[in-house]
Amino acid sequence: MTVPLGAFIAVSAVLFFLGAAGVLIRRNAVVILMCVELMLNASNLALVAFSRRAGQLGAGNPLDQRGSVFVVFVFVIAAAEVAVGLAIILAAYRNRPTVNVDEIHEMKG
Amino acid sequence: MPMGPFGIDPVIWAVLRLVIAVGLAVFLVLNGALAQIFLERKIQAVMQDRIGPYHTGPFGLLQTFADAIKLIGKEDIRARLTDAPFFLAAPAIVFSPMLASFVVLPFGPDFVGANLNVGLLYLTTLGSMTVLGIVIAGWASNNKYSLMGGLRSAGQLISYEVPQILALVTVVLYVGSLSMVDITNSQPGPLVNVLILPMAFVTYLIAALAETNRNPFDLPEAESELVAGFLTEYSGMRWGVFFVAEYGEVTVVSAIMATLWFGGWHGPGVDALPILGVLWFTLKTYMFVLLFMWIRATLPRLRIDQLMGFCWKVLIPLALVNIMATAVLILAFADPRLPLAIVNWILVAALVFGLPFTQRRRLLRFRARTKEHVAMRDVRLAP
Amino acid sequence: MFDFLEPFFFAVFSLGIIGAGVCVVMLRRITAQALLMALTFASMAGMFLLLGAETIALFQVLIYVGAITILILFGVMFTKQDDRGYALFFQKQTPWAAAFTLVIAVPVVFLAFSFKDAITPSGKGGDLIPLAGSLFTDYAFPFEIASVLLLAALVGAIVLVKRDEQ
Repeated sequence: MTVPLGAFIAVSAVLFFLGAAGVLIRRNAVVILMCVELMLNASNLALVAFSRRAGQLGAGNPLDQRGSVFVVFVFVIAAAEVAVGLAIILAAYRNRPTVNVDEIHEMKG
Repeated sequence: MPMGPFGIDPVIWAVLRLVIAVGLAVFLVLNGALAQIFLERKIQAVMQDRIGPYHTGPFGLLQTFADAIKLIGKEDIRARLTDAPFFLAAPAIVFSPMLASFVVLPFGPDFVGANLNVGLLYLTTLGSMTVLGIVIAGWASNNKYSLMGGLRSAGQLISYEVPQILALVTVVLYVGSLSMVDITNSQPGPLVNVLILPMAFVTYLIAALAETNRNPFDLPEAESELVAGFLTEYSGMRWGVFFVAEYGEVTVVSAIMATLWFGGWHGPGVDALPILGVLWFTLKTYMFVLLFMWIRATLPRLRIDQLMGFCWKVLIPLALVNIMATAVLILAFADPRLPLAIVNWILVAALVFGLPFTQRRRLLRFRARTKEHVAMRDVRLAP
Repeated sequence: MFDFLEPFFFAVFSLGIIGAGVCVVMLRRITAQALLMALTFASMAGMFLLLGAETIALFQVLIYVGAITILILFGVMFTKQDDRGYALFFQKQTPWAAAFTLVIAVPVVFLAFSFKDAITPSGKGGDLIPLAGSLFTDYAFPFEIASVLLLAALVGAIVLVKRDEQ
């Protein structure tokens, strides 16, 4: 008994939309950052699962890992994003001591 | 009906093997901690011209047993304002990655838990998980000294992970494998890696001292500034778990150094009698444990800005230069051992002789400033 | 003999991912959220192990649990997390979020189950060598770009957070 590909993809989709809903409804900037990380990670799962499937199809290299290569790039993006995101949150916090994104609206026209 | 080893059903054998392996590792860690605490006390005592423990048992051998029993017997205290689930989880988060590290250590020929082909990456990963437990311990204690200790520790551990991984990368480039077993097998003779890649070894040794929170990098628990850092609110066996985890980590990084740079279980007589490999491995590992104790008894503690500055301004650039040189030399020469050794020893010399030079400039500045202060004081004190 | 293990671990890990993910979105205690996010990442690493991508799984733990969670905990501890009762779920974006989730997410999740192929465990050797092979030959240029991006993010983060020295 093995787990079908669809189950992995479904878990990935559920986590992705959980993260998306979190980004939309939560107002705490740090929590929004966490939810974005969840979305990125969900995409990683889909990439790895499809990469296994592509490797099994036997077209060319049986050990095809191209999907996994993109996961490495997603790691890079996630690390850069969290560093810059937290720096922005701290810089905004210095101007105005809150992390509630509804209260940070100076740039609004 | 398929039969496993010793005529046991393979399903039961798989579970049994897991239980035996974990039990063995826990046994090893606890006994190692007991032995290391005793050694540490005795060696520091000798270096400080004292006698050390001698009342309990012959040569005070039973002192650490008595202390362990005392720790277990202590009342379990948790302050009311601590964050209960995190406070209880933190020792486990620190302890379990350390225990899991023992899976890939090659204790002897064919005597290894699992020969992962990503063994070194696995060890690095588990080493990085400790930080989480320490930050959580600092946060959950609801105490400003604990919090500062935890945050300092996180900054320190994350910074020193960089030179640590860079040093490992150099060895991996030279050996061509991440598996601990392959790395051991690549250095059977007396020409061990430390003679060829001493710079990577020095970098790793310094970073490992910082990673295990040992002197001179034990800032997270600097008692003169932070009471006991993230350990302030912990007592009894919970504190004991942190303590055992620290000694376990010292053992793990010592074993990594013994394997990567000193040939692991290789030694005279191993071919004839494979069990000797375990002895050699243990001896080489404890050589580094003793080195750590020697350093602890010798060097004063660094300041936090000196610690970070040393990591980012000295260690990481040198490690990057080392990686670059290693990669180029391996590509350029069919047998890169001699040129690698030359470049590496030059870098080590630069580190060893360059550091006092930079410190000399700082010392001169410091002296000038002191002279200024003295002059100002004299002006102030003048009638 | 051990056929039941793979679905069993899949169930455990997916429970960890989705349960902890729900908690991250729903809870109000920010440190608990950060820790549960770490649990999600660790379970995700378990999923990668099930898929036979052990190198990716180890990188996942190294980067997400060891670095990103710590960074977020730093962010939590450097800012004041106010306990004022601003609306947690019911505010003007909630209907949009609900509509988005229902209209897009539900069909996508159901469509996902249409992939019926079984994923058999790969052969020996793991994914280290094929991964490194693709990364340093076909994708060498994107790899270099990614390293430049990381350097830019490092410098940018320092510049953003640095206080003006006067």
